[in-house]
Amino acid sequence: MKRILALILALSLALTLFAGCKQEDASAQSGAITVTDMAGRTITLNEPATRVVALTASDCEILYAIGAGETLVGRGEFCDYPPQVSEVESVQSGYDTNIEQIIALAPQVLLMSTMAQSEAQVKQLEDAGIRVVVSDAKDIAGVYTAIELIGKLMGKEADAAAVISGMQQTFAEISANPAGDGTQTIYFEVSPLEYGLWTAGSGTFMDEIAVMMGLKNCFADVSGWAEISEEQVIARNPDYIVTVSPMGGADFTPEQEIMGRAGWETITAVQNAAIFNLPDNELSRPANRLADGAKLLYDFITAQK
Amino acid sequence: MKQEHFRAWEFAAFSAVTLAALCLCVCVGSVNISLKDTLLVLKNAVAGLPQGNATASTILLSVRLPRVLCVALSGASLALCGAAMQGLLKNPLADSSTLGVSSGAALGAVVAIAFGIQLPALPIAGTMGTAIVFAFASMLGILALAYKLDYSLSTNTIILIGVVFSMFVSSAMSVVITFAADKVQQITFWTMGSLQGSSYFNAAVLGVTLLLCGGVILLQSRELNAFAVGEDTANHIGVHVRRTKLLVLIAVSVLIGVCVSIGGTIAFVGLITPHGVRLLVGPNHKRLLPASCFSGMIFLLLADLIARTILKPVELPIGVVTSFIGAVVFVLIFYRARKG
Repeated sequence: MKRILALILALSLALTLFAGCKQEDASAQSGAITVTDMAGRTITLNEPATRVVALTASDCEILYAIGAGETLVGRGEFCDYPPQVSEVESVQSGYDTNIEQIIALAPQVLLMSTMAQSEAQVKQLEDAGIRVVVSDAKDIAGVYTAIELIGKLMGKEADAAAVISGMQQTFAEISANPAGDGTQTIYFEVSPLEYGLWTAGSGTFMDEIAVMMGLKNCFADVSGWAEISEEQVIARNPDYIVTVSPMGGADFTPEQEIMGRAGWETITAVQNAAIFNLPDNELSRPANRLADGAKLLYDFITAQK
Repeated sequence: MKQEHFRAWEFAAFSAVTLAALCLCVCVGSVNISLKDTLLVLKNAVAGLPQGNATASTILLSVRLPRVLCVALSGASLALCGAAMQGLLKNPLADSSTLGVSSGAALGAVVAIAFGIQLPALPIAGTMGTAIVFAFASMLGILALAYKLDYSLSTNTIILIGVVFSMFVSSAMSVVITFAADKVQQITFWTMGSLQGSSYFNAAVLGVTLLLCGGVILLQSRELNAFAVGEDTANHIGVHVRRTKLLVLIAVSVLIGVCVSIGGTIAFVGLITPHGVRLLVGPNHKRLLPASCFSGMIFLLLADLIARTILKPVELPIGVVTSFIGAVVFVLIFYRARKG
């Protein structure tokens, strides 16, 4: 019941949001910054933003990466990197986004993803003079677009370009000397068995990173993020398992939990203990640290051989 | 005059259909394993012989079979609880999900996760214990309120109180989550709960609970029949009204608490299964309760089969399937009942 409600709510919110994303007239002013956000809306600022609220963890990370961390006056409750972000005022995000609180923080720009807000909420924010900018990267190219977009809004184009070229360089080094030969398979576990297995299929940045290092994503036939059957993981028998789940307890790690699952002992990755845990969201957020995550995974896999 | 008890052939028929559903659910799954291999694996497992096909045998024995067992036992428990509640409250819409008892149990589990209530030996016992306590407390709270407002417990009262209580629980859950910010992800994942990862241990816990609590409920069939006529009449013909109520309520709370802590809240099973069964076997609880057990198993097994296979390799949450089928069937039953 609750799940269905959530589904309907999510769908209707998504629909209203897309409906609300009409193009605005770009008033061409001298020195003004005009950008097109990732929902195709045009946003104009008279000067680089100095007060920003970012609702997603990835946008927070990008702001700090381009050296604009000090402009952050509010952040979504799930933002936890870099550590100093916890000193910024926390704002309720997602379906329960606290519009009043955001307006009270008086930012010039609100960075958020699609899906989260209704048309009416966006209008409330815009009536309060806040430029709502949608940043919603699904793949690595999208991450570059998001970094460029945020760089432009902050007047930090050069820093943004440097971050992007740094990422590109890491990815190029990995592709130049791939860890696998295209036959080894990898399975990304986004949510652990106890709560239903979720994985990253094709069209996700995790899939791109697997391909980049010469590995085959076990679930490349699934598109996007999806809940998959435990049976399928066993039948597809991955050579490597990557977990980004925040689980684990005082007495066991996520790797140990996977190793101990009934029936998983037939999986090659479990037999070789080729399970890699990235607990700090390096590989689960569409932001600049994806390159770090890719490098960590690359080093892990090359060390396995 | 209708037969008081289950006739032997009826029992055999229900058992046969349930067994057929069980076999179907073991043989069909997300990964295709041929019938021949399936039988071979099962034969080797029973005979204690080494398994030839390691992948097929682990999938069948470690993943599919425990899940199918958990699903069957949850289905039986939920349907039995629904039938018992409907009899006790003389209300066709009474069920742990409509009343909000399942939500109460879920709140208990969330509280256990948020505040780290845990028994060191058995990690699941913490959530299960609090789920049971919260289920019982919710049940008492809801019924006390209902009797206070409307002694006859009309359908409207039940539904209204259920809706209000569920809202209350969901806000309480938000409050708990706010206080336990570091457990947000874990709690969010838990509320999306899943029958994936069901183990033989889970099945055993469900089985023992069903045996004990289900036994208690089944033994109250005569009393539940008397309740159907009226509490005063029941009292006059020698039914210990208070004791019967308490026994059934405790048994239902424990069953719901265990089910919710293992498989999350699964709606509609306890509501529509007894309705459908009543059309088949009539309102006598001596027949209705065991028939509900069988039908709940069959219904949830088939719903889970759809959830597992329709979009393979992707899985649907089982609640989506039960609510979808349940809502349609419910409207049909309601329509027929109104017309008839």
